[in-house]
This record gives sequence, structure tokens and C-alpha cells, in this order.
Amino acid sequence: MQRMISSRNYQLVADMDRLKSQIKSCDERLSDAVKQNDQAEADRLKQKKVDIVAQLKAKKSEYRKAESRALRAEINRHKYIYMMLLIPVVYYFIFRYIPLWNAQIAFRDFISLKRTGITGGKWVGLQNFKTFIGSYYFWSLIRNTLMYSFGKLIVSLPLSILLAIAIYECTHKALRKVVQTLSYLPHFLSWVIMYGILLSLLSPSEGIINDIIKLFGGTPKGFLTNTTAFPIIVILSDAWKEIGWSAIIFIAALMGIDGSLFEAAIVEGANSWQRVKYITLPSIKPVIVIVLLMKIGTILDAGFNQLYMLYSPAVYSVGDIIDTWVYRGTIEGKFSLATAAGIFKGVIGMTLLYVSNWASRKFTENSLF
Amino acid sequence: MAKKNTYNSVAVRATAADRVFNICVTIFMVLLLIILIIPIWSTIALSFRPPAYIGSYLEGMFLAPWKWSAGAYRALLGNQGFLNSFWNSIKIMSMGVIVALFLTIPMAYALSAKGVPGKKWITIFVMIPYVFNVGVVPTYLLISKLGLTNHLPSVFMPVALSTYNMIIMRQFFEGIPNDLRESAFIDGCNDLQIMFKIILPLSKAIIMTIGLYYAVAFWNDYMRSLLYLQKSSLKPLPLLLRDILIGTSMNDNLEANAFGTAPIEAIKAASVFISAIPMIIAYPFIQKYFTKGTLAGSVKG
Amino acid sequence: MKKTLIVLLVALIAMTAVFAQGAAETKSSGPMTITMLYAATQTEVGSLPDDWAGYQILRDKLGIDLQLQMLPSNANDQNVAVRTMAAADQLPDFITVDRTVWADLVKQGMLADVTDDFAKMPERSKVMFGPSSKNFTTYEGRIYGFATPSAYAGNEGLLVRKDWLDKLGLKAPETLDELYDVLYAFTYNDPDGNGKNDTYGYGAFVEDYPAYEAYPGRRFEPLMGAFGVEGTWNMTAANFGLRIHDPAYYDFMVFLKKVIDNGLIDPNWQSYKKDDFRAAWKQGKFGVFREQNSAYASENNYSPFDKNFPDGGFIVVDAPIGPTGKRSVGPLVEGFRIFAINADCSPEKHAKIVEMFEWMSYGEGYMLCGYGMEGVNYILDKDGLPQSDASLGDLGYNKAGGQRYIQLRNSSFNYNNPQETALRYPAYITAVSQKRMSAGDVLLEMKAKTWTPTPGQNSMPTPASTDVYTFYQQGIAEFLNGKTALTPANWKAFVEQFDKIGGLEWEKAGYEYAKANGYLQ
Repeated sequence: MQRMISSRNYQLVADMDRLKSQIKSCDERLSDAVKQNDQAEADRLKQKKVDIVAQLKAKKSEYRKAESRALRAEINRHKYIYMMLLIPVVYYFIFRYIPLWNAQIAFRDFISLKRTGITGGKWVGLQNFKTFIGSYYFWSLIRNTLMYSFGKLIVSLPLSILLAIAIYECTHKALRKVVQTLSYLPHFLSWVIMYGILLSLLSPSEGIINDIIKLFGGTPKGFLTNTTAFPIIVILSDAWKEIGWSAIIFIAALMGIDGSLFEAAIVEGANSWQRVKYITLPSIKPVIVIVLLMKIGTILDAGFNQLYMLYSPAVYSVGDIIDTWVYRGTIEGKFSLATAAGIFKGVIGMTLLYVSNWASRKFTENSLF
Repeated sequence: MAKKNTYNSVAVRATAADRVFNICVTIFMVLLLIILIIPIWSTIALSFRPPAYIGSYLEGMFLAPWKWSAGAYRALLGNQGFLNSFWNSIKIMSMGVIVALFLTIPMAYALSAKGVPGKKWITIFVMIPYVFNVGVVPTYLLISKLGLTNHLPSVFMPVALSTYNMIIMRQFFEGIPNDLRESAFIDGCNDLQIMFKIILPLSKAIIMTIGLYYAVAFWNDYMRSLLYLQKSSLKPLPLLLRDILIGTSMNDNLEANAFGTAPIEAIKAASVFISAIPMIIAYPFIQKYFTKGTLAGSVKG
Repeated sequence: MKKTLIVLLVALIAMTAVFAQGAAETKSSGPMTITMLYAATQTEVGSLPDDWAGYQILRDKLGIDLQLQMLPSNANDQNVAVRTMAAADQLPDFITVDRTVWADLVKQGMLADVTDDFAKMPERSKVMFGPSSKNFTTYEGRIYGFATPSAYAGNEGLLVRKDWLDKLGLKAPETLDELYDVLYAFTYNDPDGNGKNDTYGYGAFVEDYPAYEAYPGRRFEPLMGAFGVEGTWNMTAANFGLRIHDPAYYDFMVFLKKVIDNGLIDPNWQSYKKDDFRAAWKQGKFGVFREQNSAYASENNYSPFDKNFPDGGFIVVDAPIGPTGKRSVGPLVEGFRIFAINADCSPEKHAKIVEMFEWMSYGEGYMLCGYGMEGVNYILDKDGLPQSDASLGDLGYNKAGGQRYIQLRNSSFNYNNPQETALRYPAYITAVSQKRMSAGDVLLEMKAKTWTPTPGQNSMPTPASTDVYTFYQQGIAEFLNGKTALTPANWKAFVEQFDKIGGLEWEKAGYEYAKANGYLQ
């Protein structure tokens, strides 16, 4: 049964249930009467049933009216909420849904706004999707994309949470301030610069790491062109660059934990480890869950800028993701292909989001919707 | 002896386990500091690299400061278009953050209120475009139809309401105990008054954080500027720097290096710092709001 | 509350109005407004200043109000920008565009037919628009763009460190075997005499163009030429095909693998970007490489090397002769830059654009676009040639301030004018080693070496699917990397698989195109 809006209508529901069970017992007695060929009784019961049905109908309509009154009252109570939502929703419609409508060019032979318009191009159906899905590299692209997304999630998310907690718990004021200020700076270094730094570390001829290896008598390796080392480098360098920035949101969350919780814990004799385990972490669990869910929704965006800077044909087999493959195709003007890939990613993303949202609601009581 | 932990208002009695904890935290932080500082330091050193530098990468990273040359910075800051681009970026960022917060805060608050009919559907309405990123062309067609091309707002309008930021903010608003809202309702306040008088003052940290996220995104954007700002006078800083960073001039007969006084790597590194300066300056101010001042917990305990 | 909201809303609207700068169309009955998308000489110095005399002259003499838009400096960004503008019907009136984008725009009917406009440009046609230029922009019998020369053909060459050769008592290599010995010596015999094993023989980076210099790309062409497999295509009528189908290509792979495995090439070649590569040779990391004349010898580019190695120097050598007697520095690709007119322009505007383009190619227009303003950016010497002089200070056309005035140079230079060459590449004395260097002389030396003429190769079709070229690149890279063992069996399997997923189609498309346009030799 649909959720009741106002608990005041509980009585009406009880009445309706009572009437419904009355009808049921009426039916039973009616069938008995028919079996016993008691015409008078049957007629009487039929009449009674008609009465009760009429009552039920009246009650139902009364219930509907009461519910809608309650709904209207609720909406009225929250009218400012709807007002506040108005402009953002209009914004979404204009700036998010109209482009989605425009995205139908993925299904058409689109040339330009004037010549074909968005709806004027010839419908080619799923041709672009077939090109994408039928690509020789399709599964390799999916595999690489997921590898990097999950890899980064598994490495960076815990590290940024740890960093946030460490900053929160650090007792040395100076150290804390320095780390907090400096940890987010790598976020601002573009991948062009990071690439140079990685090259100076990993260059096979004179990278610092290789110098160290040579010192210990080993042979220098080309890490950036090695298919085993490359994914590790991608994931670790992304963590290196981003955990400071990602920690900011968790620090903000930690700031908001009610101090009295800690006081209570201290009183009960908890030490720092226990405090973190039983108070700090659970307190920010909702934020962690939300961040995780949002990232799962965009799991097929694996970091185009980074990979585009770092990869080379030698490591295409492990470094080519959906977005880089699409980019190489887009340079040749296959816009519809790019849009088709975007839609494909969206469908997968939506499905994953729905599933993980459901799982999250079931197991952690937090969810996006 | 109790060591006063300035983040928690309680004095922590230092048991053995606590001391171990503190040591672990300190070691972790120091390690992280060293690891994180390497890219920053080497970029700084790189940006001061003198022309005609020769040496190994290791030496380059720890180049003695007296060998530094400010040639790269002089070349960049002396660039004709630099100040104009800088100012364009400031305009975009400041306008953008105001518009973004104006859109994000009400929606985040509205979706955090309890018992609002239809809230679930609105949330789904919002999540669908989040996962469907359809790329450059469909949005471009819209912006050009709206006549926003060659106007600065075209840079921030398409992303002025980031679903990710809004959901995070909603999460924080949801963490404010409901009793505050309920008692305010009883006192006769409506939702608007509750938002302004109660929720916002308690949410300074998250608003500052989200504002920072938006500011950084607008400051660093180049994709939308590339597409929508065709006039050179409107070019914002990231686009100018991108020309320098990954420029491969159509005319490859480079008989004259525009920045002859500094090696190209130094120019690139210096440009990164210059573009990060506003953030580096602004962040400490924002950090002020990250204090334990929020009355109620912003997350459910 | 409501009041605050309204105030905020009004403030917002006011701010947007105040801050937004629009592309205000001042519709005057006077000069005709023409928007031009151009490729700047050097994007990073900024756009053409407002006080450039050309603007006023165009207004007064030709009745044109020129509105310039600069293309981004990166080729990929340029293509994205042009394509999106085209998709929204916002292409400027007169655009600079590269061939791949041009081809699509023509098919979509976005570009105007200019076949009859060549007659209206007599001065420009004297120095440009030969048959290969017109062919470059022909589509179904009509011409849709002006293809102007974009660079000096044959402006690259194989450079070898002379001081290293001298130190090791070697002579300049002629054959491939000699080159190999030189590379070996450069790597292992400490040619720079600093006691450290830190030099390499060959240096390169990946610079590939699918249409004519496929992976591993331009910097390896001299080595490929030794086996007769330079370029992407064999353009002869008798043996047309992709070079990768040539059995000699396998021999090239074996040779290159030998060089790589023996450590004779700077191992960063797969990771270097162009700037890293250039910084590397200036730091003396390797001794043999293919480089462009100006990037090597122009004053600004040579001075770091000069400072580091005052006793160092390079010679230009011809490509090595391979085992079958073949040699080539690479395919001689004529570079063109396409100027096209928007098909939506009115006939009057179209005519005006042609008039302006002609004006830029000679006399006053030529000087204004190519060198700036007399007395401000250049002065005329006794021969009447424009020179940048110290008296002009920072506004001299080759100084940072003056470079802004020559951003339209690509619309006027024709790249086969000896005067241009002499002025762009003047001889100078190096700061530290006091040598006389001239990028112009180097250019002549490089042009004189052995090149393979390949008209039309830079407009050959690219594979229909991105995957084909990805497979090509990835396969060759993995062989060179050692990920896949280089054996005849593996190579055969690679080529067969390549053919299967689209390589044969690519070859066929190439053949059709070359035949239709008369490029077969």
C-alpha cells in the first residue's frame, strides 16, 4: 500500500479495512446461503453487500480527499522549498537536459545547426554505437578504464581519509599546518608538469629511481614504456597528486563531529585508536559513502588528461582508455562517435549507480536517493 | 600529563596506546610530507632553471638557489596578454562562484529537508545528467543557440551547478540535527528563514569548501574557454598558459623563441605556479573556517 | 527575506550585464566586416596590436573592417575549435584550416568554391599556387581553398657531432654500417671525454603523421630510407602500397631493434616530447639525430648548446646508404596551409576576401603582414630590404614586443623567396664560441641531400577506423620494445592481422586516391 501522507488518516484506513473484511464475510455467507438455497437470505445479503460496497466507496473517496488535502498541506508547508528548487531545476533543464536532447546527433548524420539542425540529420540508428562496441579494442578499453577507476578508488580514497584523520589528530600544530597547506598543492600541477617530474624520476637513462637501481647493481628499466609498471605508475602518481585535495572534504566533515561524543568516549576510557575506530570513522561514514557512490556513477571516466600525457603506443595495450580512444577518433571529426561513447558510459554509470545506491541503502542506511 | 589536542576540545589523557597512536600519526604525516613535497619542490626548482642548464635530473631537482634565474617569471609576467588574461580569469572565477553558490545552496538545502513530497524524483532528475556526460558538441550547440559565445559567462554557466558538489553539500546539511529545524518550524519560521538564520551559519566550512572547489574549477578551465571565447581579448589565463605549455606553433620554423631568456621547461613550471597563485593565497583564509566552531555536528553520530 | 532575495537577483543580473563583454556587431554602412581565423606566427606572444597600421589601411583602401581570431597553438585544439564552430554555423568568413578538417568541411558544403578566384590574384599566383597546390584543395573537380606553402620543403637533415667524430678519429658516415659503428663509438667510447658513460649515439622522439610519416615517425626516416621504406606509402605506380608490406621493412625493424637492444639510442625516445628531445641534444646526450634547420641553427635555439659546448659543433650528413644501395633522408613533403572561405559569405564579401588576400601577398600588404610597420618594427637597409635594427629596441620584428606585429606573416610569406630566407635566417656570430652560424646556410645544405619526392603524400587518406592505425602503432612499438619477439613468423602474423582489421582497405583507399589525383609516379 502506498505510503500514507498523514497519520491522521489512519482511522480512515482502519475503517476501510474493516469494511473490506465485512464484504469478505458477506461473500462467504452469501455462498453458504446459495448452497442452502435460501433465497431470502441470499437477497438480504446481496443488498447488505451493495450497502457496504457503497460505504467503502464513500470511505475511499473520503480517504483520497483527506490524503490529497494532507498532500496539499504538506506541499504548502514546504512551499519555500519548492520555490528554492525552481531556479536550479530550470537551470538543470536548460543546461543539462537540452544537451541530452542535442546528443541525439549520435544517432544521426549531423552536419551543422543550419544545414541539418539537430533533428534534421538522417537517422542512422545505432551505427555509431556499433562502431564503438565493435571496435577491435573495445574490451581492452573497458578493462583498462575499469582498472584505473577502481585502482584509483582503492588506493586514493583510503589514503585521503587517512590523511584527513591524521591531520585532524595530529598534535604538532606546526606539522599539521604545514602538511595541510602543502598537501593540496600537487593538485594544481598540471599533468604536463607532472609528466616532466615522472620522467625525471623514471627515465631509463638517468631517472633518479634508475640511478638508485644502478647503485645497487641492477639494470635500469624503462618504466613508462613497460606494460606491467605503467598501470602502477598511473595509479600511484594520481594518488600522489590528488589525495591532499580529496582530503579537504573529509577534513570539513571531521570538523563537524560533535565534541561531546569524544568526551563521552574518553570518560569510558577509550584510547586514541578506539576513538578513531568507534567514533571518528563512523561519524564521517555518510560522507565517505556519498563520495564513493558519486565516484561509482562516473566510474568510466578514468582520468583522460593524465593518461593522454603519460601514454605512448608502447603501452596502448594497458594505457588506452575509452576517453583517449575517443579523443583520437574525435580529432578526425567523429563527433557522433564521441557522443555515442558518452551515452554508453552514461548507461553503464546509471546502472551501476542504481545498484550501488540500493546496496548502500540496504547495508549502510545511507544512500543518494 | 594531558596533551591538549587543539582540534578536540577534550584533554586527552596520554595512555601508552595514545602515545603510540601519536607517534604513528606523526610518522605518517612526515612521510607524506616528504613524498608530497618532492613534486612541488622540483617544480619550483625547475621554474628557476637558468638558460643553458646542463646536468642530471637529480641535480636539477636540488639546484642551489644561488644558481637560480628568474628569467621564466620575468618573461611570463612581462607578456602583453598576461595581465589581460589574468583579469579575465579573475572575472570568470568571481562571477562563477557567486552564481554557482546561488544555485547550489538552495538546491542542496531543499533536498536535505525532510518529508518533502517528490524529493526522490527530483534527486533522480538531477542524477541522470550526472552520469550522462555527452561531450563537447551537444553543449556547444546549446551555448551558441543561447547566444552566449564570446561572453565570459559561457565559461561557467554550463557547470555552475555541479551535481557532485551539490550532493556533498546536501549530505552536510542532512547532518544538522532535525530538532533544530523542527523547533524552528514550531516557532513559526518557514524554510527560507530556517535556511538563512540557522543552517547557513552552521555550514560555513562546507560552503567555503564547495566555493573553493568551484573557484578552482573555474580558474583552471580551458576547454570551455577554448570553444566559446574566440576573441583574443577574452582569453583567460589557462588558455594562454596552455598555448605556452603544449603549444606547437603552426609555424615550426622557430627562428625566435618568444621567451629566449629561459628554457622552455622553466617557462612551463613557472606558468603552473603563476596560475596557482590565487588559490595558494586564498586557501589559508578559507582554512580559518575549518575550525571546530560548528555548534551542532554536521554528520550523524 | 524576500527583499534580500530580490536584491540578490537584481545584483546578479546587473553583474552579468556589466561584466559580459559581447561580440557587438557594429553594423555600419561603411567598411564591410570580415572575420578571419588565422594561425599566428607565435601564439604565445599575443594577438596583433590594435595600432597595427594594416587595420586602417584595409579600412581606407579596401573598405574592409578586419576582425581577427587567433587559432590555438596546438594542432588538436585547432581542429576541435574549427569543427565545433562549423557544427554551430559559427565559422568565421575566412579561415585557416588543416587538410583533414578541410576535407570534412568541403563534403558538408561549408566551404566556398574558389576555382575562379585565382585569376583575380595575379601577384600571389606568381609566387604560389603551382599544380600540386591546386591539387591539394581540389574536390570533385573544383577548388575549395587556397593552399599556400607552409614551410620550406627539405628543411630537415641528419646532424652528427663533429667534435665527437674528431675526438674518436672517425669520419662522417656514408653507409649504414659506418653509421652503426659511429653510433657504437658515440655510446661506448666516451666521445665527450668526461670520463662518464653518459652519451648515446642516436636520439629521437616519436613524431608520426599517419598520412605520410607513420610510426615510428619522422625522426627515424633516414634509417628507413636506407632500406627504401621511408614514408608511409610507396608511391610508384609499379609497386604502390603501404611500406609496411614491403619485405625490406622487416629488415629495417631488425636494424632498429639491434640499435635499441645494444643501447645505441637514447632510451627515452619513446617518452620524449619534442621539447624534451630538443633540450636533450642541447645537453649533449646524443650525437646523431634528424633536426630542422631553424630549431638547430637559429640564434636563440643554438645558444644553449653553444654555451654548454663551445668546442662542439655539428655537420649535416646525407642519409646513410643501406645494404641495397638505397638512401633517403625521408619523403619530401610539400607542406601546405589552407585558407578557405565560408560558403555562407555573400558574393560581395567573397570578392572582398579575395581582394584582401591578394593585397597581403605583395607590396605594402606583404610588408605589413610579414615585417610590421616601417620605422617601428623594421628599417630598410641600403638594398631596400627590411632589417630589424637595435635602434628599434623591443619593437624590432624579431624581438618580443615586435613579434606581435608579424602574427599575420603566414598570410603573406611564400617560403621560396630567397629574400625571406636571408632575412629570417640571418648569419650571426655565436656568443661563446665566436663561430659564424646561419640557419639559412644550413637550410641549403639540408635541401641538397637525398630526398624522396612524394607529391600528394600529405593528403593521402588515413584509415577509416582509428583502430587500424592504433594497431599499427601498437604493434610496431611492441616489437621494438621487446614485448613481442621480432621473428619473421611474428611479423607475418602482425601484418596479416593488420590487413584483416582494415589495413588492406586503407591501402586500397590510398591507391584509389593516388590514382584519381595523378600522384602515382
